[in-house]
Amino acid sequence: MSAVLSFPTAVYSVEAVKRAAYRFTDRLSFEISLNGEEIRCSVTALADMTSEDLASVTARVRNEVLDQDLRERIAAETAVVRNVVLAYAFSAAGLQDL
Amino acid sequence: MSRFGALADYAPALETRYQLLPFRFANLDDGRCLVTNLVGEYVLLARADLEDFVHHRLVPSSPVYDDLKAKHFLVDGDHSVAIDLLVLKARTKASRLAHFTGLHMFVTTLRCEHACPYCQVSRQSEDRAAFDMSEATADRALAMVFRSPSPTIKIEFQGGESALNFGLVRYIVERAEDINRHERRDLAFVIATNLAIVTDEMLHYCREHDILVSTSLDGPADLHNKNRPRAGRDSHERAVDGIRRARAIVGRDRVSALMTTTRDSLGRAEEIVDEYLRQGFAGIFLRPLSPYGFAVKTKSYAAYDADAWLDFYFRGLRYILELNRAGYRFIEHYASLVLGKMLTPFDTGYVDLRSPAGIGIGALIYNYDGEVYASDESRMLAEMGDKSFRLGNVHRDTWEDIMTSEALLGPLEASFTGSAPMCSECAFEPYCGADPVFHHATQGDAVGHKPTSAFCRRNMAIFKHLIGLLEEPETRRILLGWI
Repeated sequence: MSAVLSFPTAVYSVEAVKRAAYRFTDRLSFEISLNGEEIRCSVTALADMTSEDLASVTARVRNEVLDQDLRERIAAETAVVRNVVLAYAFSAAGLQDL
Repeated sequence: MSRFGALADYAPALETRYQLLPFRFANLDDGRCLVTNLVGEYVLLARADLEDFVHHRLVPSSPVYDDLKAKHFLVDGDHSVAIDLLVLKARTKASRLAHFTGLHMFVTTLRCEHACPYCQVSRQSEDRAAFDMSEATADRALAMVFRSPSPTIKIEFQGGESALNFGLVRYIVERAEDINRHERRDLAFVIATNLAIVTDEMLHYCREHDILVSTSLDGPADLHNKNRPRAGRDSHERAVDGIRRARAIVGRDRVSALMTTTRDSLGRAEEIVDEYLRQGFAGIFLRPLSPYGFAVKTKSYAAYDADAWLDFYFRGLRYILELNRAGYRFIEHYASLVLGKMLTPFDTGYVDLRSPAGIGIGALIYNYDGEVYASDESRMLAEMGDKSFRLGNVHRDTWEDIMTSEALLGPLEASFTGSAPMCSECAFEPYCGADPVFHHATQGDAVGHKPTSAFCRRNMAIFKHLIGLLEEPETRRILLGWI
């Protein structure tokens, strides 16, 4: 059982699609490619799956791509603060003296 | 025409009113989103509120705005204070790293008079020379123990049945006390023992040297004896008698017990909890089997999956909460550890829920033959023939060789949840940990494939469950009392 999903590059990054796909690799395999202004995502079920089940899980993949897009936005806005906080947090560790 | 513009003209544009601080989110089963910051503080948001928040559409009068501000998910005014507080909390969480390797486990012998099918390592052998640690090996290991920068040093005696080589336990305790007269660390001892062959004389020694006693109790007599067979079929009787004697001699608060869940335990969560109550314990640590050693060889590990264990765990936890509501203060220790990570700025130090992982920098184990492993589980893996986490040998390698070995630093770096696939974006990451030995043992890779990881499945389910329980006011009051 397989399906093809597509995502416009104007809206989503390849990274967001890849991260979303990874979360479903317990039950699906993915082949991700760029096709013009489209990210093409071929999905194959790893085990027997009805067409209804595949439709349900690919719908969840689509939602997960939306979540990953939101995560990218958060990460981009907060990257500087995040790096500062972690740098201070780990600067006391002393592991670098080993 | 008015001399002044309307107030709204002077208000900052909605887009610039606040700045996001780093956070992650996950969708919960009830349609809400869990939002966690770098130090594990969390807020539950409706999806629409999350979208509004990220797109800077959340107005200060929104019911969730103050919560997000108080928990450092946004800054809108005094920039430096909010970020400084976040830094302080993150630094507190990471502070344990500066004092690495506080736990040092000595395998005094592999010999044991029990024949537990789930046991990871022990041998039924009379051959003392083959499976007992020597004083020379203990001396070399002790020299390494005190190379650790940790101000607190805990030496734990493991087996086999550690008390079968109690002479060496005495030797190590007295040598360590001797060394510590100069080192002045906060030194503690624990003996892990099934108590079956422990004499009153040994217990008096434990009392004199402030050695904590940690034993095994799997549940009611029939279950315990089935899980832990020994000649005479009296393991439970001896354990219970040993607990009574140990409390009387060493001290009531100096004796603890651990259980292991086998397939036979699965339908008996309440009975197991009742047994702990009957024996006067104030809590229980509901633990799954580990995928190592004889547990794999005898197929005990494969006897149930993560979902079966979760059913058992939640049933036990529900029963424990009922007991608490009825007036018995009784703790489930794993929940207590996780709640500590969720609701305090402190790291619990629990080895399995640390990132960087607890291997080596949380604990080291000195095997009877002088081999040094990154964790207790690592030496169990070695007994199966896989020495991937062997860091060196006390007779041939230095502290620096061991602590900078690729066998330690490689998996530590690869499994760090701040960068591991799926973990790095996971809202539960502040509560979770890296377990490279588990993932190596079950998936052949220290990082692990999280969509199929039993470790991930178990912990995510527990984190979600506890967050749900914290929403119920009376349950929340009970759970707060466990931290």
